[in-house]
This record gives sequence, C-alpha cells and structure tokens, in this order.
Amino acid sequence: MNASGIKLGLGFYTALFIVFLYGPLVVLAILSFQTGPEGGPQFPIIEWSTYWYKHLFGLTPPSRIAPLPIEQALVRSLALAVMTMIVSTVLGVTAAQAFRRKFRGSGVVFYLIVLGMMVPGVLVGLGMALVANTLGIDRHWWGTAFVLHVVYTFPFAFLVMLAIFNRFDPSVEEAAWSLGVTPARTFRKITFPLIFPGVLSAMLFAFTLSYDEFSRTLFASGRDLTLPLAIYGTFSVEVHPNVFAFGVLTTLFSFALLGTYAVLMGLSVRRAKRVAIQEEA
Amino acid sequence: MIFDLELNSVGKVYDNGTPAVIDFNLSVRKGEFIAFLGPSGCGKTTTLRMIAGFEGISSGDMLIRGERMNDVPPQRRPTSMIFQNYALFPHMSVRRNVGYGLEVKGIARAEREAKVDRILATLGLEDIAERKPEKLSGGQRQRIALARGLVVEPDILLLDEPLGALDANLRKAIQNELKLLQKSLGVTFVFVTHAQSEALALSDRIVVMNQGRVEQVSPPHQLYTRPNTPFVAQFIGRNTVLSGEVAGSEGEDVVVTTGIGTLSGRANGALASKGRVNLVVPAEAIEVHAAGEGVLAGAKNRIDALIERSDVVGHIAHLTARLHDGRAVSLEAHVDKYRPGAFPAGTPVLLSWNPAEATVIPAG
Repeated sequence: MNASGIKLGLGFYTALFIVFLYGPLVVLAILSFQTGPEGGPQFPIIEWSTYWYKHLFGLTPPSRIAPLPIEQALVRSLALAVMTMIVSTVLGVTAAQAFRRKFRGSGVVFYLIVLGMMVPGVLVGLGMALVANTLGIDRHWWGTAFVLHVVYTFPFAFLVMLAIFNRFDPSVEEAAWSLGVTPARTFRKITFPLIFPGVLSAMLFAFTLSYDEFSRTLFASGRDLTLPLAIYGTFSVEVHPNVFAFGVLTTLFSFALLGTYAVLMGLSVRRAKRVAIQEEA
Repeated sequence: MIFDLELNSVGKVYDNGTPAVIDFNLSVRKGEFIAFLGPSGCGKTTTLRMIAGFEGISSGDMLIRGERMNDVPPQRRPTSMIFQNYALFPHMSVRRNVGYGLEVKGIARAEREAKVDRILATLGLEDIAERKPEKLSGGQRQRIALARGLVVEPDILLLDEPLGALDANLRKAIQNELKLLQKSLGVTFVFVTHAQSEALALSDRIVVMNQGRVEQVSPPHQLYTRPNTPFVAQFIGRNTVLSGEVAGSEGEDVVVTTGIGTLSGRANGALASKGRVNLVVPAEAIEVHAAGEGVLAGAKNRIDALIERSDVVGHIAHLTARLHDGRAVSLEAHVDKYRPGAFPAGTPVLLSWNPAEATVIPAG
C-alpha cells in the first residue's frame, strides 16, 4: 500500500473512531432540544426548544411528565464522589510513596491493590450485598457502596502516583534532609508541592470514576439511590428528553472540571519542564 | 587529635549481597580538601552517601569530630551535600532555597537574612536572589547549591560530582572559585569525581578507589609521580607499565629484567628483593632520540621502538611508539622539544628515561 493509501486509511479510521466516541453524545445533545411536553426522545425534531432544560429546573407549567427525581440522588452522588476522591487519593499517594522502596512482598501487594480495578463490578457489588446481609450490616451509599468505590478507585490513584514518583528526582529530598529538614517536613514542604500535578490527576480519576459508577453501587447502596441508579430507574418506565438535557448539563460540568484540571496541570507541567531542563543542563 | 572525619574499616554490602565498599579507612583533618577518584561503580559515591547518611553502613565505624555517626539520620548529621544535578527546590526562590536550612533550624529571621545575604554576596548571587532557580544557568544554579549547602555551616561539605554537568570552560572557572572558597572558609570538603584533572587540581589528598577498595591515598603530586598499584598507574596520568623481575639494585635504583631489556626505576616504599614487579614510566618522562645516535651507547635505560603516530594538541606533542614485543608506549612533551614533524610515523627511535622518574611497584 502506498503512503497516500495509508493516510486515507488512517484518516477513515480516525473519523470512525470519533463518530463512535462522540456520536451518542451528539445525538443526545440534539434530542435534548426537542419540543415539549409532547415531543419524544426520537427524530425528527418537531420544533427546537429549551423546554426540557426548563422542565429540569421545574420552570415549566405542570404536565403529565413528572420532574426527574434526581435532586437528592445528585447530592448523594457528589458527596460519595468527594468522599471517595479524598480517601482514594490519600491511600494512593501513601501507597505509592511506600512502593518507592522495595519491600518484602511488594509484588504481591501491588497485584492485590490493582485487583480492585479489575474484578467485575457486578460480582463485587453482589458479594458485598451478601456479606452485608450475612453480617447484619445495613447497606448504605455512604457505607457499603463507599467502601466498594474506594476499592475500585484506589488502584487508579495508586497507579497515577506510581508513575509520578517514577520520574521524581529523590536527590531533592536528600538535599532537604542534608540541610536538617526532617523527613515528615520534607514530604510536606518539598515532595508534595512537586508531585501536586499527579495528586490532581489521581483526584480527578477517583472523582469521575465514583461519580458515574453503576454496577458496584447497584447492589451495595441500599435504599437511597445514587445518580446513575436514579437515572436508570427513570429509563425503566418511560424515557423523555429531560434525561438528555440532564446528560448535556452533566457533560458540560465534566468539561468544566476537565478544563480546570487542564489549567492547573498546564501550570504545573510548565514548572516541571523547567525542572527537567534544570536537571539536563 | 580529633579528626573532622574518620572512616574505620567501613564496608557496605547491598541487600542482594554485592559488596560495594570494602574496608575503607581514612582520617581527614579539619579544612582538608579530599577527593574520591575512580571509575564509575568503584564505590566512591556510595562512600559519600554513607557519610551523608543516605546509605546505611554495613560494617565499621564512621566518626565526625570524634562522634560516632553510624546510626544518626541525615538531618542530624553536621554534613551537607551538593548534588550533581544541584537538586534545588524548584518551587522556591533562590533566597528561600538558600535560607531554607536555617529556617527549619529555627534561626530568627533577622539573623537568618543576614547570613543568607552574606553567602549570596560571597558567591555573587545578590542580583538573582528573588528569582526561581529554573530560569537560571548551570553555573548560577551550581553556586546556589553551594550557597544553600554552606549557609548552614556544616562541619563537612560533601560534593557529588558537582562540576559534572557544566561545560568545560565554566568547569575551570568554578573549579578555581571552589578552591578559593574552601580555603577561605576552612571547611572540610569531600569531593567525588571521576575526572582526574579535577581531583589533581583541587584536592589536598586524593583517595583512588577501584572495585570497592581504596587503592591509594596520596597528595596529588605524589599520586601522579609515585603510584602505589598497577591500577593507579593505569588510571592516573599516561603511564607505560612494563612487567618484569627484580634483578638487583644500583644505588637508589631498582634494576628490573623485562621482556624488552634490563631497565631501572625508583622503588616506591618497601619492595621485596626478588619477585615480579611492574615498572611504571610516565609519558612525559620518556625522551626520544633518533636511532643510531651514539650518545646513548652503553646507557641501561634504553629501548628500541618505532614511531607509530605523532599528534600535536595545542602545545603538547603526543607520540605513540611501538616496541619490539608489540606493546604501544605513550610519550608526551612540550612541542619545543620535538619540533613538529621531527619524528614522522615509521621512524626508528631510541627511548630512554631518568630512573628517578620511573617507579617500581609490586606486580598485581
């Protein structure tokens, strides 16, 4: 195959990839502007309107379609994601710090940690429900589900931090020790500011993975639903474009989160690059 | 007498059983400039890191000003370390970098600032004090690292290849500054390098290491002119090492029978009256004469050779001569002595040297 043929092939492949990646999202976004309340979740668009966005916030006159029952679920999911993010990041950073030195059994411990992100979610959720029932523990989103979220997201935070420490120059810490700085203070004042971009990535991973986690939560969260469960619940009755409108808003929120992350990361990477140059020179 | 630094039979064995440093003995007086010199992997950096406390000591004792330091953590040792990559704190200004050691020691702000100002002035860093280190040149960062290490007034400053990352000209300049600084402060310096020119130029004594062992501890000139071991003879300067047997002595000179004739040199320390030895001849001690010159007839220290290469680098002429047994010999001299082109490749010559400039050492 000649060079232009390869180019064409790769271009086609890329286009296909993008269509599958963003296609569903685009369709969802378009349908969210369907007129309401009579318009349904399908083409053609009868008339463009922002009815379903207003409906979401209760700004439309009452109709036969009930508002999405997501208010409390959203709060729960955000709270759960924040809790998971904090615990997983702390665990990830400290575990990765421990792995900077080889210790007895470090290989086994590594795989035990990583196992948390590889086992099928539904099975773990079901297992947790069984364990909770057997031990007589009530299932709650802030209890059993929270533990599963941490087990799931901790390996991601851990792997991110492992990669960060891999490139970290330990002589900066040694320089601090040799100036009389205690190891604890060195970690707080020298190491932590330098690994902060990594910590930020770990936090982002833990937050987003927890926020839309479905399978592990399904059996483990008990009576009160988290957001993914609540949305799934509305599907089983009848789907209206208000779910799409909500999806668009959530996506925009995620983009905002990513944007903030990108800005913070950009600042840190610029600094890290200068450090790298400093080391090479 | 209390030494600034004492290493008594210090050894280091890695967790996997590999010995890194074997039976290291050294006593360093206050204000001495010591260089650890050797090829990479010889254990010099490991020894330095044991002194700093970054590596544990497997056997033996390490004392600083008479106090045993084996189990003292790095932050409580009176040492500070300068790293090859400087290891500056990238998120702090130059001033904060330099003052950080004093800050954590709880020294009052006014006194701290005075000390920082003084060391910044000494090293010519006042103008960049408020900048971040990443924007500065290698030479500037090197000075910041020195200022940061010296401001805490360590008993011993440890330097791990501190000039390795600088270009040749800058290295020369900082080398001089370093020497002056050390003399004026009177602080003991222990300096690790694999560049013999640095070690020879800077230090009061050089510790040559090879495969975890100390080969020789000597002042630079003595190390250069009187190597103790075959390794040092090969590693320092450009020596020709000829193996042979002791045949007797002639006044102060030892006569050695080698495969290419009977030659002589000065013994370095006690030498058995018999047995295998090495004769070490420095490149710059060898004189070249056109073959057939009558002046050397009857002289003992002469060997026939064929010129193989002749290069002039700056004001130094480097010649390579091939002996009859196939061995290559390096010669070196000021160009005045040879006149470029006097000995083109293929010229048969006679080589000779003053026995006082050659050294006889035990073999292997």
